[in-house]
Amino acid sequence: MNELKITLQINGTPHELTVSPDQTLLAVLRESLGLVGAREGCGIGMCGACTILIDGQAMSSCLLLAVQAAGKTITTIEGLASPEQLHPVQHAYVEHSAFQCAYCTPGFILSTVALLAEDASPDDDTIRRYLAGNLCRCGSYANILEAVQQCRTMAQAQDAGEG
Amino acid sequence: MAVGKAMVMPDAAARVTGATPYGVNLKLPHMLVAKVLRSPLPHAKIIGLNAAAAQHAPGVAAVLTAADLGQPGGPALLTGAAFKDQPVVAANRVRYVGEPVALVAAESLPLAEAALELIEVDFEELPAVYEAQAALQTGAPALHSAFGNNCFKHAKLRHGDIEAGFAAADVIVEETFTSPPAQHASLEPHVTAAQWRNGQLTVWTATQAPYLVKRALAELFGLDPAAVRVIVPPLGGGYGGKGHLRLEPMVAALAWKTGGRPVKLVLSRAEEFVTVTKHAATITIESGLKNDGTFTARRVAIHWNGGAYADASPGLVAAGMVRAVGPYRIPHVWVDSLGVYTNLPPAGAFRGAMSSQTTWAYESHMDTIAHRLGLDPLELRLKNLLLPGDHFATGEIMHDIHFVECLQSCADKLGWAAPPEQTAAPPHKKRGRGLGVMMKSTVPTSRSECRLRVDAGGAVTLFTSTVEMGQGAHTALGQIAAEALDIPFESVAVVGPDTAVTPFDTTTSAARSTGMMGAAILHGAEALKQKLIEAAAPFFEQPPAELAIRAGAVVSVAAPAQRMPFAEVVSRNRLERLEAMGVYQTQSELNPDTGQGVSTPHWHQGAGACEVEVDTETGQVTVLRFVGASFAGRVVNPALARLQNDGNIIFGLGPAVMEEIVTEGGQVINPNLSDYLIPSFLDTPRRLETVSLESEGSEFHGIGEMTLPPVAPAIANAIFNAVGVRIRDLPLTAEKILRAIKNE
Repeated sequence: MNELKITLQINGTPHELTVSPDQTLLAVLRESLGLVGAREGCGIGMCGACTILIDGQAMSSCLLLAVQAAGKTITTIEGLASPEQLHPVQHAYVEHSAFQCAYCTPGFILSTVALLAEDASPDDDTIRRYLAGNLCRCGSYANILEAVQQCRTMAQAQDAGEG
Repeated sequence: MAVGKAMVMPDAAARVTGATPYGVNLKLPHMLVAKVLRSPLPHAKIIGLNAAAAQHAPGVAAVLTAADLGQPGGPALLTGAAFKDQPVVAANRVRYVGEPVALVAAESLPLAEAALELIEVDFEELPAVYEAQAALQTGAPALHSAFGNNCFKHAKLRHGDIEAGFAAADVIVEETFTSPPAQHASLEPHVTAAQWRNGQLTVWTATQAPYLVKRALAELFGLDPAAVRVIVPPLGGGYGGKGHLRLEPMVAALAWKTGGRPVKLVLSRAEEFVTVTKHAATITIESGLKNDGTFTARRVAIHWNGGAYADASPGLVAAGMVRAVGPYRIPHVWVDSLGVYTNLPPAGAFRGAMSSQTTWAYESHMDTIAHRLGLDPLELRLKNLLLPGDHFATGEIMHDIHFVECLQSCADKLGWAAPPEQTAAPPHKKRGRGLGVMMKSTVPTSRSECRLRVDAGGAVTLFTSTVEMGQGAHTALGQIAAEALDIPFESVAVVGPDTAVTPFDTTTSAARSTGMMGAAILHGAEALKQKLIEAAAPFFEQPPAELAIRAGAVVSVAAPAQRMPFAEVVSRNRLERLEAMGVYQTQSELNPDTGQGVSTPHWHQGAGACEVEVDTETGQVTVLRFVGASFAGRVVNPALARLQNDGNIIFGLGPAVMEEIVTEGGQVINPNLSDYLIPSFLDTPRRLETVSLESEGSEFHGIGEMTLPPVAPAIANAIFNAVGVRIRDLPLTAEKILRAIKNE
């Protein structure tokens, strides 16, 4: 197949890449760029382990071709924060031990970031529904809910402060 | 004190930033990618195999077929966790759809896949059998010549006089329960890489049993075990599916042909479904009771579907026998536990191994008995649950026993005595409650070793071959080490598994690590403290008996202000480090003819209770509330303990209400996470409460499985309580429930 030259805007940096037309964005992130926080769990968009943000929306990178992402703004878990300076959502996940094997965790965290961008104060049902596309086989859902509830409380406190 | 605190995993930052170094991320210089050619048929002779074109395909470094095996100086043909019945890749014959026939190592995955297409295999199909009972019938196709009737294990428990027991019964209840194969569905698939250098083999593999892999590979290649090194990265989930031997033999054999280049195999999700499954089981259970609810006898017959190779099943089938009886005082017991070959993928340990299937049977059965006798299900259980000092059906005396507390705490929390909450729900939504209690033996004979080190800089390291697979073992074990050495948790580093530097451990499974490796650490810490005291004594000018360890230092008992920190003890002796080994060994054995003896060093205990809502128009069951309890002895880390207890229930919901591997003609027809659904946020009970019970002076008990086996029977019992139908075949789908309601 003819290879294509594309530019992907990832975590604020443009990357010029040569990809084949059938390469998934997930494969390019992991294999060409070493961004291994996105993971293949099912390969068919059911588990959410490969979740990334495209223009702020949570998407399954296993279902996207790399060429489809050209010209869009891509955020992976590596772009959210560093281990030294965690994002508030990551802090909440740590504080509530909202993971076990953590293979699914970057996906959950990015979905949480997308949720909070849409609705800073989601109720519990909204959280459950929004995160239903991310699967945690270890079964840390109760802790994940508590972590997101903490993010909600922080947002509400901020609102109250500003109000 | 580090034990008992909710310590956060030391690598939490890596876990939330995506930096955890899972096996799937492993990259080695000049690494090749492997891909497997698999059998399309459930049972066939291989009458021709031509891989010549693949050998010469672009980018191919090596091809492995059975022709490479069993030759002088090379890998043997057969391997296996219990006995050697499984070829590394199929030779002459395939026995299940998905069985590896050949492997290719190439420069990239597309090149490996293209090369596989060039391998020609001619099969001559043989008759196949998929059900355990059918496989035992005369005339059924025999899978292995050593076991003509396909039964590779028959474990027997004979306790008391079974006929007299049934003769003394007022009521006899007999039922049959089934449980289908299920998939572990670790989000990280199986992954193994291997490299040969100067006759030495290094394997990086997502395994729960590094020393088992090391020994098996040494045997396969006829090597001194010292020539095999097994390194285990953090696992993206295990749940039993990464126990025993998986990809390691075929990847090591393929790497043996690449001229020293490393090769890595990552399974696709579809391949996961044909690599290892939960044992399908059919369990017939017959109980005799007095009218007052006292047991007189129990007979259990289990057919475990082992799939095409024995794998670890012989040991699991024996454990399944012990786990089939139930935690009750029953004077006369008879169990037949049969492991049977069929033309399906091999079965193996699945979180709550064998107990999930048996608890499903005996706890559903308890409610049938209660209903028959007109007794409350809780009352019937409390009347019969084993107590400390009771004899179990193996003859062993029960110790450290807390079934009653586990069950009672669940019943109390659910409000068993009070009527279900009244709701404004429409009349076609019925509520009901159910209970379940479980017992599980752990690995009967096993050994855990660890090494504890203090170096001259004061750093303390725990070397352990316990595998970190998300359960937080390295955190919990670090806490145990910290407490035993009286140092802060943060100052202990946990290293391993890497068989080149971490000592022997049997396996990270059967929830044995906190108890067994924990005990090894306590032993090692005592030895290290003694060494530190002896090394410090000359500087104190006091005999060792007058010195003690306090807060990371050797101190004088008489004058505790006189202290020498660990680092100083090491450096003043002009040493680089002080080290001590810790060992814990258990040995339990049952008579092979009677199942009498001692089956386990200690008992895993758990319970669950739930409230469900059944929609009588659709059959849909919703678990509104689940409470679970496990016996932890002593909780090492309450945050991690809760994750285990909760996680068990959520994991257990899958096989209880939705999960089943479906095959047609031996072919898995739902090998993906779209057709095989696992529990999501929306499947999780809105109210989920769990507790780990402790007991003064108790040892550590693992809790990685205990709240799981009660899930399915508790839900089935709640369905019966709600709508009066008894489902005996898992999973508890809306279709089955609706059909049963219509048939009422």
